[in-house]
Amino acid sequence: MPDTAPATPYRAPAFTNGYEFTQGAGYTLPKYPFVAPPELGSGTVMRHPIVIVGGGISGLTLACSLARLGVKAVLLDEDNTVGVKGASSRGICYTQKSLEIFDKLGIYERIAKKGIQWSVGRTFAGHDEVMAFDLRQQGNFNLSTQPPFINIQQFYIEGFLVERIHELGHVDLRWKSRVTAFTQDAEVATLTVETPAGSYQIEADHVIDATGSHTPFHQWCGATMQSRRGDDRWCIADVRFTTHPPVERHTWIEAPFNENRAVWQHLMADDVWRLDYQMAPNADPDFVSREDVVRERLARQFGPDVEVEVVWVGPYAYRSQCLDHLRAGRVFFMGDTAKIVSPFGARGGNTGVSDADNLAWKLAAVQRGHAHPALLDSYNAERLEAAQQNVQVTNRTARFLRPADGMERTFRTAAISLAKEHPFARALINTGRMAVANTYTRSSICDATGGQSVQNVAFQWADGSAGRVNDLLQWVSDELLVLVFGEISRTVASNLQQLTRLAPVRAVQVLGAKDRAQAREHVRDPQGHLREASHVFGHTWALLRPDGYLAATGEAVDSDLVAAIERGLGLNAQD
Amino acid sequence: MNTTLHFQDADGFYERLLDVHAGLSPAESELLNARLILLLANQIGDARVLGECIEAARVPQQTTA
Repeated sequence: MPDTAPATPYRAPAFTNGYEFTQGAGYTLPKYPFVAPPELGSGTVMRHPIVIVGGGISGLTLACSLARLGVKAVLLDEDNTVGVKGASSRGICYTQKSLEIFDKLGIYERIAKKGIQWSVGRTFAGHDEVMAFDLRQQGNFNLSTQPPFINIQQFYIEGFLVERIHELGHVDLRWKSRVTAFTQDAEVATLTVETPAGSYQIEADHVIDATGSHTPFHQWCGATMQSRRGDDRWCIADVRFTTHPPVERHTWIEAPFNENRAVWQHLMADDVWRLDYQMAPNADPDFVSREDVVRERLARQFGPDVEVEVVWVGPYAYRSQCLDHLRAGRVFFMGDTAKIVSPFGARGGNTGVSDADNLAWKLAAVQRGHAHPALLDSYNAERLEAAQQNVQVTNRTARFLRPADGMERTFRTAAISLAKEHPFARALINTGRMAVANTYTRSSICDATGGQSVQNVAFQWADGSAGRVNDLLQWVSDELLVLVFGEISRTVASNLQQLTRLAPVRAVQVLGAKDRAQAREHVRDPQGHLREASHVFGHTWALLRPDGYLAATGEAVDSDLVAAIERGLGLNAQD
Repeated sequence: MNTTLHFQDADGFYERLLDVHAGLSPAESELLNARLILLLANQIGDARVLGECIEAARVPQQTTA
């Protein structure tokens, strides 16, 4: 060994969370036409209430959510397709909360039909199974109409969203439109947009930066952030092959067929398996993604006789990053512009989807005068807490999967060996904590009794037909929903009626199997699922937001409910 | 965190702790210690107590006047 380290013999990996296309059969992705916008040629600068920059999963979810609420917006995307610059899949695993959101948007059935449902996960170390779980047996997942997870290539969801936006109208999708400059002041935000037919300027009241990890807006807005990067390297191989492993998530912390490093095995749509291999620290991305090297690795895992079609290969390094504030004046950061996480636990894309769902109704309610503009600040309080939690959780997983040499590795070896013998130690095995609907504990618009997500559970309409929470949320649009449980007095009934006349709020009485209906709008909840999902416990009412989050619960229909409604709309917000 | 005496048999525990390491290489001893810490920590469970124990375990820095 020479005394001085040689110059790096290979190109340093790009610290993106994008999976760079290298080789493989790939997918044929849709192409969307560039249509010259009215601004080009006319020379007039038009002002739009909402401009979304970036047509990835977060930007398109926001655009589709606004379209569903009937709110006009413009979306600018530098490309003319979905997926990563003509490459392929990024996210593969969509959580119950995301699926509930997609259900509200009207694309859930297509996702369920195309994607793969799974609920069993197994973790291995060496040749031993260390632990297994079945999410269907965990109570917190089984109330919703949507399953715990569906695996599907991200670009399918993006493609479904684009088609749905075209059906719904209201949102102008502008492809091949790259934002090259941005300014903002007290009056307005101004963006310069470059297109194949020339550039133009566009003005906006609100700008949503959903451009992803390479965003130029951080610099334009002077955004500050916490960032961390390591030497962990991975290489994805998306493949089809002649064997059919079980429809389960398998993870190896120490895979004998990968030099005792980690391996992920997951099924997606089209019979494509995602195999994600941990490489040696600082491995050369060009080498590890070379076709012959990839095939040799696959043969080590599945045997030499298995025929493999390589669909896509992507080497990657990850960093973690979290902005200090998700709002800068007129700009809101969402998805990978808000935070960047390692892929463990599916906390990237799913968080972006919830970012979009959180902001959409607030933008709609403020624009329609249903809520105070301060409501928009709650996006930062709520989604920053979610981002920080997700960064912390994924950093812990990354540290378990790539322990520093020395004591960190010793503790991991200790935890794995104990987990094989004793159930308690299985809690220490961290191959990724799956994404959840993050609870808001420091929101300016939620009471201490609120902040949790309410699952999309089923109930019965007054006529006995089946309904779900999402039907109620569709009905309230950008307004708040009061659920009152059980029988009520005449005074309470009249108070509720008056409240719904005066405030942007709708009320529904939720009856047990034998309760008497007293309100015009009532549903039946014979099994108590809606009550359980609404986290009311002994309380009488629950105040739900259009994003399916609970603003508050309470005892009596009195000034407490009125205060919760005011707070939920950004009036009298408390910090 | 309990800093008052709680051992039933302090000398006996100390002796067993030394005996279990007898004949082990430094790497084997490190792994045994790590396993022992995780087993003992689970007996305590309480996050605040564990946090205080971790802090108390730091070796005090010698101050140079």
